[in-house]
Amino acid sequence: MKTSLGTLGVLLAVAVTAWGCGSGDKTPTATSSVPDSRFTATSEPAEAQPVGSARESAEDAQDIVVVGRIGGSSKPFVDGVGAFTIVDSKVAFCPEEEGCPTPWDYCCSQNEVKENIALVKLVDAEGKPVTQDARELLNIKELSMVVVQGKAQRDAEGNLAIQADQVFVKP
Amino acid sequence: MMRRRLLPWEYGVRNLMRRPTRSALTLSALSVVILLIFVVVGFIRGLEKSLAVSGDSSVVLVYSLGAEENIENSAVAARTASLLTASLEGIQNRFGVPHVSPELYFGTRVQTASSGTSGLGLVRGVTQAAPLVRRSVRLVAGTWPGPGEVMVGKLVAAKLGCDPQDVQIGQEITIEKKTWRVSGQFEAGGSAYESEIWCRLPDFQQALKRQDISLVAMLMGPRMSAADVTIFCKERTDLELQAVAETDYYQSLQQHYKPVRMLAWLVVLLVAGAGVFAGLNMMYGSVAGRIREIATLQAIGYRRRAILVSILQEGMLLSAAASLLAGTVALLVLNGIAVRFTMGAFTLRIDGMSLLIGCGVGLLLGIVGALPPAIKALRLPVAESLKAI
Repeated sequence: MKTSLGTLGVLLAVAVTAWGCGSGDKTPTATSSVPDSRFTATSEPAEAQPVGSARESAEDAQDIVVVGRIGGSSKPFVDGVGAFTIVDSKVAFCPEEEGCPTPWDYCCSQNEVKENIALVKLVDAEGKPVTQDARELLNIKELSMVVVQGKAQRDAEGNLAIQADQVFVKP
Repeated sequence: MMRRRLLPWEYGVRNLMRRPTRSALTLSALSVVILLIFVVVGFIRGLEKSLAVSGDSSVVLVYSLGAEENIENSAVAARTASLLTASLEGIQNRFGVPHVSPELYFGTRVQTASSGTSGLGLVRGVTQAAPLVRRSVRLVAGTWPGPGEVMVGKLVAAKLGCDPQDVQIGQEITIEKKTWRVSGQFEAGGSAYESEIWCRLPDFQQALKRQDISLVAMLMGPRMSAADVTIFCKERTDLELQAVAETDYYQSLQQHYKPVRMLAWLVVLLVAGAGVFAGLNMMYGSVAGRIREIATLQAIGYRRRAILVSILQEGMLLSAAASLLAGTVALLVLNGIAVRFTMGAFTLRIDGMSLLIGCGVGLLLGIVGALPPAIKALRLPVAESLKAI
């Protein structure tokens, strides 16, 4: 019995390996809900700066407008909360022809991402992230270009977060 | 009156007894088939149970961003635990003790001293905060590991492929060229930890010549969620951390093993198919030798439906007996057998659902196996069948 169980285990493990390698194409998905007007800007805010330069120049609690592309990791959105990361558009994401299933994780240019990424938080009146998924609130998906207007939040390590009031999704 | 009646119950039973050898062989074949189904269903149920009970909905795991979904590949700075404790406000805290467990998790070769058996083991270096977070873990014998000591889960012997005596308290095992004494044994409610070896974090770091840790497990208070920790990790991009709810982590493993489960169900189908052929073979043989008898029953007034029911009754009697036999063996012998697997080890689980599936498939085999030969026999004209040799 021990031998037959072992054989079964080996067969199943081989099957996992064979099956697991084949699948993996993940297409960015946006929900088809109507965007929440509280956070959606009807026109593109002026004088938006790229994420990279915002990280260099923005000060804590300063009003800023930042433009960037949603991505930076395999899961740029925080599930169930209005928060996501954006990356400076000068950083190239993995080209489609390379067949990367999650090009928004910038796996080909991770070192550049570190200095060109910011967290966007859609906050309520108390400054806390809203408990609704950003994809539902703004009808956005991975690699969408967005212009974010809000207040900068800096720390001593140079990280940048934006408490967003308005988000404009570039067509 | 006669035309409405079914054949007597005893008729079917006696028919089985008329060919005892053939009936016994078919019973054996069906029992083996149903037992194999129990093995596979028990395997699926055991794997599912092990993963389902491994996650705690209040626990969040923080580990390296570069490790993707594999915690074994993770390496984060040892200070991460204290940094998270200082930065996050919603971590469970009792009597001034934050429920934060820094852990070094590593798969490595483990050799037992008594028999020299060597196998790939899963070792977790922990602090005394670990039981505060890993709430299912219960020390059932011996003591918490001291310097140079380990405590072993109840499925470690299965994972290492060694005799359970080799990992009893007081025995010695070798991990990373260092000898460790087994100080205790623990259970974890059937979760994945039961196939792990736990030791003190500083000892394991020293043995691996590492100063970092793999992950930090935290028990969240009621006002904190995994999303809050994820936001912290995404804010502090310099730390290169990611957070996941422990239940989500094991859910992703469930998804990872989905092909295994699907393949196992395919095995159930194939084995059941083999069982159908065994049943068909027996019932065709049985019916072929009774064509005149069946025609006679029709001639004296029994309806075809009554004869069909009687033949089905024979098949079902055999398959029900085989299901009972296989179910008893499965419960007494298979249930609880430890199975080594890539993620650790788990036990075969012959629970209510397994019994339902196994016995249900068994009864189905009896019906499906008996139906075609019965229909074939009843289609023959009565006059012609009465002349059959």
